[in-house]
Amino acid sequence: MNTLIYTSCLGLFCLLAEILNLRKLLVPLVVLGITVIFGVNYMEWNQGGSFYNDMLRIDHFSVAFSALVLLVGMLILVLTADYYKNEIHHISDYLAILIFTLCGALIMLSFSNMAMLFLGIEILSISLYIMAGSKRFETKSNEAGFKYFLMGAFASGFLLFGIALIYGVTNSFHLEKIGMYIMNHDATTISPLFYIGMMLMLVAMLFKVAAAPFHFWSPDVYEGSPALITAFMSTLVKIAAFGALYRLFATCFVGTLSYATQTLSIVSVASLAIGNFTALHQTNFKRLMAYSGISHAGYLLLAIIALYANTASALFYYSAGYAFATIGAFAVAIPVFHSMQNEGMDAFNGLGKKNPLLAALLTMSMLSLAGIPPFAGFLGKYYIFSKAIAAGHVALTLIAVIASMIGAYYYLKVVLAMYTKDSNDKTIEASPLYIMVAVFCVAMSLVLGLFPNMLMGLI
Amino acid sequence: MIETIPQHGYLLLSTFLFCIGVIGVLFRRNAIIILMCVELMLNAVNLLLVSFSAYSQNSDGQVFVFFIMVVAAAEVAVGLALLVSIYRNVMSTDINVLSKLKG
Amino acid sequence: MTEQLMQDATFVLPGILIPLFPLIGFVINGVFGKYIPKSVSGWIATLAIFASFVVAVSVFSKLNATDSITIELFDWIAFSNMQIGFSFLLDSLTMVMLLVITGIGFLIHLYSIGYMHDDEASTRFFTYLNLFIFFMLLLVMGSNYLVMFIGWEGVGLCSYLLIGFWFKNDAYNNAAKKAFVMNRIGDLGFLLGMFFILFNFGTLEYDAVAQQASAFAPNSMLIVSITLLLFVGAMGKSAQLPLYTWLPDAMAGPTPVSALIHAATMVTAGIYMVVRSNVLFALAPHTLDVILWVGVATSVFAAVIGLMQNDIKKVLAYSTVSQLGLMFAALGLGAFASGMFHVVTHAFFKACLFLGSGSVIHALHGEQDIRKMGGLKKLIPITYITFIIASFAISGFPLLSGFFSKDEILAHAFEQNKLVWTILSISSMITAFYMFRLVYLTFYGNFRGTDETKKHIHESPLTITIPLIILCILSVFGGLLGLPSVFHVSHLFADYLAAVTDPSKAFLHAHEKVSHMTEIVLMSFAGLAAIVSIYYAYTKYVKKGEQPADEASLTGLQKWISNKFYVDELYDKIIVKPMLILSDLFLVLVDKLIIDLSVNAVAWFVGLTGRATRLLQTGNTGFYIFAMVLSMVVLFVIRLLA
Repeated sequence: MNTLIYTSCLGLFCLLAEILNLRKLLVPLVVLGITVIFGVNYMEWNQGGSFYNDMLRIDHFSVAFSALVLLVGMLILVLTADYYKNEIHHISDYLAILIFTLCGALIMLSFSNMAMLFLGIEILSISLYIMAGSKRFETKSNEAGFKYFLMGAFASGFLLFGIALIYGVTNSFHLEKIGMYIMNHDATTISPLFYIGMMLMLVAMLFKVAAAPFHFWSPDVYEGSPALITAFMSTLVKIAAFGALYRLFATCFVGTLSYATQTLSIVSVASLAIGNFTALHQTNFKRLMAYSGISHAGYLLLAIIALYANTASALFYYSAGYAFATIGAFAVAIPVFHSMQNEGMDAFNGLGKKNPLLAALLTMSMLSLAGIPPFAGFLGKYYIFSKAIAAGHVALTLIAVIASMIGAYYYLKVVLAMYTKDSNDKTIEASPLYIMVAVFCVAMSLVLGLFPNMLMGLI
Repeated sequence: MIETIPQHGYLLLSTFLFCIGVIGVLFRRNAIIILMCVELMLNAVNLLLVSFSAYSQNSDGQVFVFFIMVVAAAEVAVGLALLVSIYRNVMSTDINVLSKLKG
Repeated sequence: MTEQLMQDATFVLPGILIPLFPLIGFVINGVFGKYIPKSVSGWIATLAIFASFVVAVSVFSKLNATDSITIELFDWIAFSNMQIGFSFLLDSLTMVMLLVITGIGFLIHLYSIGYMHDDEASTRFFTYLNLFIFFMLLLVMGSNYLVMFIGWEGVGLCSYLLIGFWFKNDAYNNAAKKAFVMNRIGDLGFLLGMFFILFNFGTLEYDAVAQQASAFAPNSMLIVSITLLLFVGAMGKSAQLPLYTWLPDAMAGPTPVSALIHAATMVTAGIYMVVRSNVLFALAPHTLDVILWVGVATSVFAAVIGLMQNDIKKVLAYSTVSQLGLMFAALGLGAFASGMFHVVTHAFFKACLFLGSGSVIHALHGEQDIRKMGGLKKLIPITYITFIIASFAISGFPLLSGFFSKDEILAHAFEQNKLVWTILSISSMITAFYMFRLVYLTFYGNFRGTDETKKHIHESPLTITIPLIILCILSVFGGLLGLPSVFHVSHLFADYLAAVTDPSKAFLHAHEKVSHMTEIVLMSFAGLAAIVSIYYAYTKYVKKGEQPADEASLTGLQKWISNKFYVDELYDKIIVKPMLILSDLFLVLVDKLIIDLSVNAVAWFVGLTGRATRLLQTGNTGFYIFAMVLSMVVLFVIRLLA
């Protein structure tokens, strides 16, 4: 609970810092603050409990995911120091909004009431609408922000309609009470309105995790947003939304999961297919990462489908592996884009010669995303697949395995471009912050890949 | 008072309003009208919540309506701000103009 | 209990340090080699091994012979019903191997500094050499078969890299590939054996496997298959019939490599593995018989081929194969400690011989053909003296190390099987003969090379001669570790290993010990036989001054021997050629027609689908929302219909 309060205070502090003229000191202070909050979050591991009339509930699941979200936030915040160095006047706004995004994510990971789910999603989304459109004078950024906003608000409507219907049937917004309603009825006596409500909520959540066919916003928004925000969105939103989806199904809809399994399976296969197929011909790196994110949503949905096999740990491990690999990739890509003034895949041409360190870091991140041992990406897939098989979804797992083989192709295309293609003579320099973050992320991918038990037994 | 109309009447009405909102979003091209249609969807939900709340003697639903209203206000504020900056750049509020990002 | 734990704790750090030093050396030379002067990299590598050696000695001084200490580093592979940790085992057997590897490894590193001085890629050489030591240490230190297997594969890799060290020469590359492929055949056996163990016992830890195996009756199907498979692995690694042909070819590598990898350490890994699994093997007398006869056959077969070789290193290579056969024969007789004893003494004198040959080659600027040598006695005296003493040792000249270790094996053979004893004795005599044929042709008579070469002949630098002298001293006195019971002193070596080898004693047939009288007779006979062989070589090559005949003029048996019984050609005809034909067939039929076509079709389809799905992303928000609503409706309808 303190985690959330302190994070909100940190956000407010950023806004105050504008008045106090602390702009130059702000990033280190904020990173320090997040570090402290990380420690506070750690202290909550053994405490837990419920807060605000049982609107929020802190348990191992929420603390573990909160830690991951805070770490992701910290890595991104470290990069803001360099990324926004020419926009120092707005830095406190940007930081405040990013931290409020974190608050939204924290709420989404610890809610035990539909109202909190709604608020968490909206806090997260509204902040990101702003950040996506934050390059005000670029049409692309405007377009990204507005598209995200329109579709996000539209999806929120479905989420709310679903919540309202469920409320009408069960007279409650509380997850456990809704769960009790399911327990007390058998499948035939549950009101059809309940099923409609659940499916509408599911659709809205699938929109948030960018699963096909509700993925349309993500490639466009990822491409148009500032690259750092893309990195933030592609990791934080996905982790928070999957955490929320898992929490929703594990504590509330667990009794009616079988009703949603078919839909989830179709969406999972569609995400794997569309994500991996469409990524093959991408020429823009951010778009590529968007489609990669869609395909990863497909893998992660397996963890929801196989919920009965107790997939929380696998979901967490996979999310962590995905987050570190993605941030590692962006931490290399951003300085490269900056030096080359180009966000296409050809920006990476010849990076292997120009800056071997960056090339090696990006290669390792890509290998982790492609699911190649010894990186965390491999074991993450392995755990999720083995859980899915344990839950009896063999055909689905087979499709996922085939999809991941196709996926390896476009990740390696980036690697190939770095080492085999020639390029112009522009030199590529990266500030130490980027290298530090990239090295940290790659190291984490490697450490998690070699010692998976650090996370696997956690939840 | 509110109970003079049967509950399914509210359900039908708000579903109808929600669908109007959805169809409006689908078929209108002016960004401001689309925003209004989204608002209509949210208000349909509000109506539904209030009626459920009244019928079940449970005030949670009405509290939730306040949350929705606050969030909707924030959303519209952000949406209009984005729209203004778009209008400055492309001098149009037609969402078909926004198709630079694709593929 | 706590005392035990504390005692264990004192070994954790050294246990980790021993393999860590070579790894650090490898990393330094491998990663920063570019920035390190060539002369320094050799010293870094040598120091790394020396550090390991010092730690190994300190562990040796603290470790009791009966101790068996497991150092668990981390859980490695954990499944519900199977736990494999990455852990080390320190006991007397490991200790013996550790001292041999780090001790002789250090001397050979030191030697290499001088030997590789002029090579432009010497940094790469030392990098590989350190990596080899690291893997070899893993092999002997692992507390389960999997860690051993990593080391096993790792040393195979390093052996491959080092045989093909001068990769610009195609023949050397082929030799490297041959070694690798032959080892792979053996590795497959090892791997299968490991799977059998894991599948049936659920563990790969040595002690747990031995304990569970003890419940089986002797010669049970399972144990026999496991041990046979493991022995296939040993055959590959330790160059036994029929997988021995790679070892003579492996002489393509630099001479220190031949000394370290292909004489002293790696090739003895097979013997180490069998001794390590002695309980398993003792439970499978059938396998022991197989090992015995393979060993005996290899010993005599390789010795015969050694008679007619004219390349100084090839002679030593065949002698190594022959000696390894002798060691396996010892294992086959159930004399595990004797086999290990010969491993150690052999490491001393064979390393000395190889390094000596390297010194000769160094002096002659790369000449390896003994027909072009001769009369080097005066020119390179230190090399000559150490070489001839090591030759006396390998020939079993009385009171030198080889005499005692060989004699022990022969005594065991005499106890159990007179035929084996006869064959091994003959093989020993042949060994003594061809070793001194080598010595006399190289060092006696007149120089047969060009005058130009003769002018440049000089004794090697200190870094080369010091290891030679140390190894020479060890080959002389190494035998004192295991004096036969006639001398009424305890057999230090066998006593030290007793904790490891004793568990298998219960399963082996007890044989009546030969009496002291018989033993003395046997020893005298063996010593006499060696002296006679040496004298015969002396009369033939020094007194009569005979020269090896030209290969073209050889006929009959001699021609067969000179051509190594045409084994390589035979393998080429019956295995390689048919394989090549088959693979050509598969290339056209399966690869080109079926696989390529289907793969390309799939890729084409995937690519096309990708292009199609890309069109969905029109950039138009209205379309996106429409598609979302439509797909939602479709999903709902499918759900309702299902």
